[in-house]
Amino acid sequence: MAYQIGLYLIYGIAAQGIGFLWGKTGVLPLGQALFFGIAAYVTAITLRAEGNLFLNLALAAIVLAVIAGFAFVLAALVFRGRNESGPYFSLITLALVMIAEQVAGTATSLTGGFNGMSGFNSLGNLDPFGGFYYVIVAATVAVSLFLFILNRLPVNLIAKAVLDNEPRMQLLGFPTHMIKGAAFAFSAMIAALAGGLFASHQGIVTPTSTGFALSAELVILTAVGGRFHVLGPLIGAVIVGWASTELRDSFPYWELLMAVVFILVVLKAPGGISELFEAAFRRVRPKTPTSAAPAVTAPETRFDKTPRPLRFEDVRLKIGVVRILNAVSFDTPATGIISVIGPNGAGKTSALNTITGNLSVTGGRIMLGEVRIDSRPPHTALSNGIGRKLQVPSVFFSLSVSENLAIAMMAGRLRMSDLFKPSTFQWRSKSLSDVLGHPSVPLKEEMTDPVEYLPQGHRQFLEYAMTVAAEPSILLLDEPCAGLSPDETALMTKLVQSYQSETSRLVIVIEHDMSIVEAISDKVLVLHLGKVLAFDDYDKVRQNPQVQAVYSGGTK
Amino acid sequence: MSSVLLLNLAWQISTLALVALGLAIVFGKLRIMNMAHGEFVMIGAYAPVITSMLGLPGWLQLPVCLVTVGPVAFVLERTIIRHLYGRMFDSLLATWGIAILLREIVELIFGRGYQSVSPPIAGTVCVFGADYPAYRIAVIIGILLGFIGLYWWNTRSKTGTRIKAMVGNPNLAEAIGINTARLSAGAFVFGCCTAGLAGLILAPTVRIEPMMGLDYLIRSFFALVVGGLGSLEGLGIGSGIIAGTQTFLGAVASQTYGYLAVLTLSILFLWLKPNGVRSSSR
Repeated sequence: MAYQIGLYLIYGIAAQGIGFLWGKTGVLPLGQALFFGIAAYVTAITLRAEGNLFLNLALAAIVLAVIAGFAFVLAALVFRGRNESGPYFSLITLALVMIAEQVAGTATSLTGGFNGMSGFNSLGNLDPFGGFYYVIVAATVAVSLFLFILNRLPVNLIAKAVLDNEPRMQLLGFPTHMIKGAAFAFSAMIAALAGGLFASHQGIVTPTSTGFALSAELVILTAVGGRFHVLGPLIGAVIVGWASTELRDSFPYWELLMAVVFILVVLKAPGGISELFEAAFRRVRPKTPTSAAPAVTAPETRFDKTPRPLRFEDVRLKIGVVRILNAVSFDTPATGIISVIGPNGAGKTSALNTITGNLSVTGGRIMLGEVRIDSRPPHTALSNGIGRKLQVPSVFFSLSVSENLAIAMMAGRLRMSDLFKPSTFQWRSKSLSDVLGHPSVPLKEEMTDPVEYLPQGHRQFLEYAMTVAAEPSILLLDEPCAGLSPDETALMTKLVQSYQSETSRLVIVIEHDMSIVEAISDKVLVLHLGKVLAFDDYDKVRQNPQVQAVYSGGTK
Repeated sequence: MSSVLLLNLAWQISTLALVALGLAIVFGKLRIMNMAHGEFVMIGAYAPVITSMLGLPGWLQLPVCLVTVGPVAFVLERTIIRHLYGRMFDSLLATWGIAILLREIVELIFGRGYQSVSPPIAGTVCVFGADYPAYRIAVIIGILLGFIGLYWWNTRSKTGTRIKAMVGNPNLAEAIGINTARLSAGAFVFGCCTAGLAGLILAPTVRIEPMMGLDYLIRSFFALVVGGLGSLEGLGIGSGIIAGTQTFLGAVASQTYGYLAVLTLSILFLWLKPNGVRSSSR
């Protein structure tokens, strides 16, 4: 019995790695047995060679590092090309594991071919039916504890935020492809740990240990047990494993039943068994809201904060056959508020998209001071000091207001070590405190509310607060007053003006309401059909006959 | 290059293009990542086995193939896939479950062992100075003609546009008079039937077994990654590059190297050209 449970726990550990990756970042690996199997083979080879323990541990560390490195590079490359490569990534991992199974079956000299490798003792010569069971239990507890601790640290919040809203994370300066790569590397290492235990426990490693069927089974265990909870995959492994041993021989439709259960879980209960458990537990003991910890002053942001002018040089943007920007050239001052106006389709938002790298230019260049900034990936924009608020409020809808703000506070400030310090959650900067401290800003009373229940106006203020939290040297605001009441509009303009006057930085605002444009602008940029129609102060722009013609419908 | 290798290349490319066609429709148009695509190829490949088990004459293989694959695809679309439009990742999971289900059902009926069938056209013909199975020559020509016909139909028909409208905004599509239930079911069943047809065609040349579908899923997926979604030319180019690389390396080195090469190629494409060769942006 202990022998069987030991095996279930080993699968459970590997499934916990999948649960971490899939539940937090939404990336589903379909070939996790690749890492499991490689580690199992290496362990088998090492145990057979019976070298000394120290060398073996060193070898284990090297193997883990290689596996993690490979996993990181693979995921980072696939997600570097495009955010939405998730399904592609799953299939790539599936293809990998199928090759691995083939190689393991044919490279007879290294792996023993289809018969596998056997004839070695377990780690430390422990009895797989007795003593080694405790090693497995200890490993299970250690991995679970580690995952529970991670849940309370900033890394967890960052992983969840990547799943929730990847473009926003990139605009906050997070290289999301690398975050996904790191998460995949971590899950691969857990799978490798499980694989090492497996070899020692079973005393034989065959190509199925690195095969497709095991990969599929691990995913099913994770889904059925519940991918959102640390213990979910373990519960799944033990329950499914036990039911499988009891029923597989007497009930011929067992595999069929598992497939049906899996489909039902996907369609009806994505949280799996653990979610049912948790719901029952929460009925007995509801979640108590934790009181907010005192704020600590956040470290300085790490990008260049000197005011620099933004210069468009003959910028062209063409998507398919549509020419969106046609040789746009202008030169802003280093500080001040610049309003961008123009009829719908003039290219206003696209111009901002070229500044942040969400769109690559097809001609010309964009300079920030002496640095060329166009056609770079969006996550590098903040490191140039560019912060951006999008036209439709883009925040983390599944997270609470305070979690949203916590992530925004990390933007441009986070160092590797801060990822693992709980105090990172308490960071506050002056610019954020100014917004939150303003008596009319509505966010203070709704800190623990999920953002999805917030009204549109409050979302606008939240996204604005998140954007200025990093104190960007160039603040790009895309219609910040859209959907706001007249009072809220006045408040928003006041916030923008005080941010600019206190930091003396550059603010670029797209705005349709001419009274706001008149009130706040140092200069006005008029775009029409992808060209600069005028760029001057408000009064001169208003008297410009071409601008009048566009706005009052005269002939071009 | 010997003419046999060239003919093998033509055979691999044309059959891969046919297998990938269904996936391209279901993934490219309906945005359903159909992990069970290979299983429809597998079911199609069992059609000759079913036909001979039932003692039916050989010319009924095609109808048998369509009446096994079609209803299965239709029922799955109406019960499961229907809920997954616009949820690509969930579609991957659910069809992954469907794939396991279909494999298990086939295994329960036919057992795990290999089956083989003989080609309907026996003998060889002499092409470019090499003897080559007549059946394969007929298939290559048939697929080529089929794709020319499809291309011709595609440039005239509005079905593709309607599907695009339906997936983009189902409510609006219904409001302008598109029968979304019929259209989506039709497209899904059509995609799966082409997979079944590919299975039927491949059946005499491969070992028929419940697990055979996976390989076709992965290779057609690679073809779509390289070729890009949304055009028949892309599908052709993708199939050409993938099947070409794999056949060539398989001939000069080994199958494993061929497989590794196309995998590496796919990763490179996802990294550097995530929309495939047919995309002009980026």
